[in-house]
Amino acid sequence: MIVRIAALLLTCAPALAVVAIPATVQAQDAATVQPDTPPKRGQAPKDARAYIIWPPNGAVIDGGKLWVRMGLQNFGVAPAGVRRDNTGHHHLIIDRDLPPLDEPIPNDKNHLHFGGGQTEARIELPPGTHTLQMLIGDADHVPHDPPVTSPKITITVR
Amino acid sequence: MRSLSAPFLVTAGILIGIAGGIAPGSAAERQPAPKDAYAYIGWPNDGEVVTQRFKVWLGLRNFGVAPSGIVKPNTGHHHLLIDTDLPPLDEPIPNDRKHIHLGAGQTETYLELPPGRHTIQLLMGDADHVPHDPPVMSKRITVIVR
Repeated sequence: MIVRIAALLLTCAPALAVVAIPATVQAQDAATVQPDTPPKRGQAPKDARAYIIWPPNGAVIDGGKLWVRMGLQNFGVAPAGVRRDNTGHHHLIIDRDLPPLDEPIPNDKNHLHFGGGQTEARIELPPGTHTLQMLIGDADHVPHDPPVTSPKITITVR
Repeated sequence: MRSLSAPFLVTAGILIGIAGGIAPGSAAERQPAPKDAYAYIGWPNDGEVVTQRFKVWLGLRNFGVAPSGIVKPNTGHHHLLIDTDLPPLDEPIPNDRKHIHLGAGQTETYLELPPGRHTIQLLMGDADHVPHDPPVMSKRITVIVR
């Protein structure tokens, strides 16, 4: 538990530190930006694409422990909190539909964040049918516009 | 998630500890990497026969990707070494056609090589393109381009 809280703090600290900066940037753009718009979404090229390299759709996994390999085309990986055009970090959505795209991706057991720039994830799932989908988030965990997301795949754990 | 966070925290703690003791001014300070971090070439396989333009998929385990210029513990960016041995590990990786930098955080790319046998190896570099200590790298593989 302590580890988890500490990890959360560590993940949030850089994000909080940079949150202050865009406020001034937005102030400069005040003429063009509506005052009460949701967080500005980072832009993504139309050909940016995420995909789950492994496991394949329909895979049957014995035991429930697996590595998920996350692939990304025409886009780059950057840790959470890092502002750089055409980059973002991976989120793995388990057994859920896509969350709202104009706000930060939730952080819970159905929405795993890979804010350290990881491109592979070790996960464990109970027996049954599960869905996996990737969604890239920007420095503040908000999906890009258009969203960089993978097809949703279904796997079976037995 | 928890299993990823714990070692990261430990390493981050060590990093902070080390940073306090480092004297400024030394050249090409290498960033530490966990011993279990490694890179690998997910595609093509060793010995694969490929066409002149082929995709290379860059794999990385127990480590993260960050664009060049970003200073963050346990991250780096990919470099592809083509037909060459490892460069010196205590200086920035050269930037030429045998040392391809993927500084935008890419995790896959395309290569175009003339027909024949070629070797490919992955080597991570830090914010300043200097390999980590120990270096995070892949095995050197051979492809046959037709």
